[in-house]
Amino acid sequence: MTQTIVIARYNPELDEKPHQETYQVQSDDNTSVLDALQQVQQQDPSFSFRWSCRMAICGSCGVMVNGVPKLGCQTFLRDYPVGLVITPLSNFAVEKDLIVNMEPFLEHLSAIKPWLINTAEGTQPHVQTPKQLAKYQQFANCINCGLCYSACPQFGLNPEFRGPAALALAHRYNLDSRDQGKAQRMPELNAKNGVWTCTFVGFCSEVCPKKVDPAAAINQGKVESAKDMIVSAFKPTGAR
Amino acid sequence: MNNGTKQPKRSDEPIWWALFSAGGVCFAVLIPGVLLSLAVLYPLGLISAEMLSYERIHFMVFEAFFGLAGLAFVGAAICLPLFHAVHRIHHGLHDLQWAHGPVAKVICYGAAILMSAIALGLWIF
Repeated sequence: MTQTIVIARYNPELDEKPHQETYQVQSDDNTSVLDALQQVQQQDPSFSFRWSCRMAICGSCGVMVNGVPKLGCQTFLRDYPVGLVITPLSNFAVEKDLIVNMEPFLEHLSAIKPWLINTAEGTQPHVQTPKQLAKYQQFANCINCGLCYSACPQFGLNPEFRGPAALALAHRYNLDSRDQGKAQRMPELNAKNGVWTCTFVGFCSEVCPKKVDPAAAINQGKVESAKDMIVSAFKPTGAR
Repeated sequence: MNNGTKQPKRSDEPIWWALFSAGGVCFAVLIPGVLLSLAVLYPLGLISAEMLSYERIHFMVFEAFFGLAGLAFVGAAICLPLFHAVHRIHHGLHDLQWAHGPVAKVICYGAAILMSAIALGLWIF
């Protein structure tokens, strides 16, 4: 059957501001939003959007579907019988059509050092028990799609906020028994733009395609930050 | 790009968040019981007037547990819920973009501190 979709279009070289255009696409029960976007691109080769794996692994095809952040490949036209409006991810600057500038998100991500920090020498593997793995495993499923940043009203108000995915990953590495980098990450979490900008809206966890639950990670991070403040009060000034 | 070369300043938010959390527990657990007994059951005559007699309340507030029961009640039923409420108002003002910054913060938490001081003052004197 034929379905109508509305897509936000913007060409910075021609348009003063974004506008919406209507397209007809062929759809059945298996047609994803990403499939529909590819059909539109065949109709109009000037249409731009990001995609890669089409199986919710790469995190490239994030768009707003009727105002809610979604992965295009994981969202199906059959669930939108009254039609859909597809716009670029909220809270990011639009570069062209559905392509946004992800650079601010990547800066926040690198600021919290999302990698194993371990100074141990040698070639032995870092052994980990299932219990130690279970502590952080849920928070390790992030694919950096940025949907949580589009869902977060606090990131919308304050782009300096480190944001859901970055803070969830900081928590993930802080909980990892192989990691020794917590002391290096805590100053970022303790800051105003760290965990403390979050007001536990929780929409980040709702839209997360990988069920990472960043809202839980950030609020566990608040407990860690509060503990860190108490501990620091008993340390000599130079050691803070 | 900030790669952690410059350390950001520690936020004082844990203090207000801790008071907010403690106040939330009091709001959820203690206040409904207080309202039920004082504002519903007592006016309906379902608990006897004797339960709230001056001598009994005076003993509970100023003498029970070395006189600390009254302090605990004022703290848990008035002071901590006050900090909970102003924390919500403070962040609500920011969310609505009506006010954010040091002035709103001082007014919000200042109000909670002032009203807590009045409540504790009434208990002490």
